[in-house]
Amino acid sequence: MKRKGIQQMSWKGIAAFTVLILILPFLLSTSLMITKATFAGIYTIVAVGLGLLMGFAGQISLGQAAFYGVGAYSTAILTATFGLSPWLSLLIAIAAPALIAYILGHTMARLHGYYLAMATLAFGIVIHVLLVEWKGFTKGASGFYGIPKIEFFGFTFTQGISYYYLVWAFALLVIVLSLNIIHSRIGRALRSIHDSEVASSSMGVDTGRYKMQVFIISAMFAGIAGWLFAHMSYSISPGSFGLDGSILFLTMVVLGGSTSVWGAVFGALLITAISSFVQALGSKISFITSDFEHVLYGLILMLVVIFLPQGLFPAIAAKLKPLLEYAGRKKKAGNITAVKGDQRA
Amino acid sequence: MPDLLEVKNVTRKFGGVVANKGVSFSFESGKVIGLIGPNGAGKSTLFNMVSAIFPPTEGEIWFAGKRIDRLPAFKVSPLGIARTFQNLQVFKRMTVLENVMVGLHTSTSSGILSAAFKLPKAKKEEETIYQQAWEEIEFVGLEDVAAVEAGSLPLGKLRLLELARALATKPQLLLLDEIAAGLNHQETAEMSDLIFKVRDRGVSIFVVEHDMDLVMRVSDRIIVLDQGEKIAEGTPNEVQNDPRVIEAYLGNDEEKEEATV
Ligand SMILES: Nc1ncnc2c1ncn2[C@@H]1O[C@H](COP(=O)(O)OP(=O)(O)OP(=O)(O)O)[C@@H](O)[C@H]1O
Ligand SMILES: [Mg+2]
Repeated sequence: MKRKGIQQMSWKGIAAFTVLILILPFLLSTSLMITKATFAGIYTIVAVGLGLLMGFAGQISLGQAAFYGVGAYSTAILTATFGLSPWLSLLIAIAAPALIAYILGHTMARLHGYYLAMATLAFGIVIHVLLVEWKGFTKGASGFYGIPKIEFFGFTFTQGISYYYLVWAFALLVIVLSLNIIHSRIGRALRSIHDSEVASSSMGVDTGRYKMQVFIISAMFAGIAGWLFAHMSYSISPGSFGLDGSILFLTMVVLGGSTSVWGAVFGALLITAISSFVQALGSKISFITSDFEHVLYGLILMLVVIFLPQGLFPAIAAKLKPLLEYAGRKKKAGNITAVKGDQRA
Repeated sequence: MPDLLEVKNVTRKFGGVVANKGVSFSFESGKVIGLIGPNGAGKSTLFNMVSAIFPPTEGEIWFAGKRIDRLPAFKVSPLGIARTFQNLQVFKRMTVLENVMVGLHTSTSSGILSAAFKLPKAKKEEETIYQQAWEEIEFVGLEDVAAVEAGSLPLGKLRLLELARALATKPQLLLLDEIAAGLNHQETAEMSDLIFKVRDRGVSIFVVEHDMDLVMRVSDRIIVLDQGEKIAEGTPNEVQNDPRVIEAYLGNDEEKEEATV
């Protein structure tokens, strides 16, 4: 049903994005590029969750890569060491980060101020140490080998086009679920907290509870991404799940903009593209190393915070809006209900 | 039948400032009660405690037979208390309709997962929220700006929006903190008509107002605060002729002007 006066999910936007995702592999010339595009999907899943947390619960997590790592290692160990089916271990890869998030959030009673940033930072460090030191389970710094592939009715998803579609199917699901949340009573409650916490609690919104729920959801999404990452590669190592990773996810969200789901998606895609480009340059120019990449992310983070605190996506959407509206008006003259107040979507 | 609101010997201190000092009063439901007093008398402080934004330093507040002064703010709305804010607290980046929809938060219950998966319950509730929000929008007459982002509205409409949002929570008791502040003559008159309409819906109203014409017209009874203390209580007529009230207002030149507008 079409409703006037509220933001609704734009199925057109999702359809257009899905088409783009479907045809992208045909435009990419090398298998390396397909792999990068697959990673973009995995990162999108983490970034969308972190975007919900930052843009809608007003909290920062510096430990998102650790949730991602918990998801990846729990499925790796359960499938390779204990022979569980990857589909069953998916449940654990979602539940384990969710439980940790619940405990982290709960010990703080209400998520306030910088506590969550600090707690997740510490948590990220603990997880990284555990992954390196708990060799009996994780095989330590050299990495965990022998992770089985995901199968579906006899079909095996191997790195390449099939895995790309698997990852993006999950990413699209995560995007749709997140959009649904934002356009629900919970989403409105969360947005209202941002504008006036005192008014929303006077309307009966239990602000602490919803911040907590979003934190848990963001950890679950990271867990799904970890699961996808683990079964894509034959091996994983602690290096992918450290503070660098958490800051990379943060950069994606800040760059794209956290006030809309699409901002996080856009940020994840853009950062993956930049990273691929820099790595390609690195193979030709000797001073461009992975340290250079980190400096570059730091620089991006700084520039965006200073010049575009809302992130790129809202800025671009605001520029495009008059164009789209103009086109829309020409198409269905006289219909003015399409005018919306906000670029969040 | 217990009183609707009972304030028992309430004191509130902010550091050295005593904003409310031993304030006691009570009233039954179905009435419009005015709360007046010069600037800084402690009216908003009292409202903040009744809406549980912060607790009193001493004393107790009871609502419909329940003690509410130690509850977190979000728990008093379901009990039946709603309010508007003197310094507007609208959700600026949401549309007018969405603002009012937040008011319906507690009359629905679907959680984050049923929202994510759009379960039938969530969809049905969303429909209810939408319909009821529209009813409140129509009640205050904001239909033409329902789809507009609240931050871009003029003050008069924002006051109406706060009223609609508070009404959406289906309160038994509505606290209006200077709902007419900054409104022009006509808007003020319309607001007092609306207050009567709200009362006719069976909502009890507790109103802080500097506009004396308005508050004398709508109130059944008036409580007067001065420097944190209750100095008088009675019908509008009694209060207007109370020497302590006259002195409290005359002792403050600024207030004198406002009071005689
Ligand atoms: N959060 C606070 N922190 C410190 N002092 C406060 C706070 N809130 C109110 N006060 C002080 O308490 C006293 C009463 O303020 P209050 O806002 O309740 O008055 P009021 O009667 O609503 O005045 P007005 O008519 O100007 O709205 C004032 O001296 C004010 O400075
Ligand atoms: Mg006040």
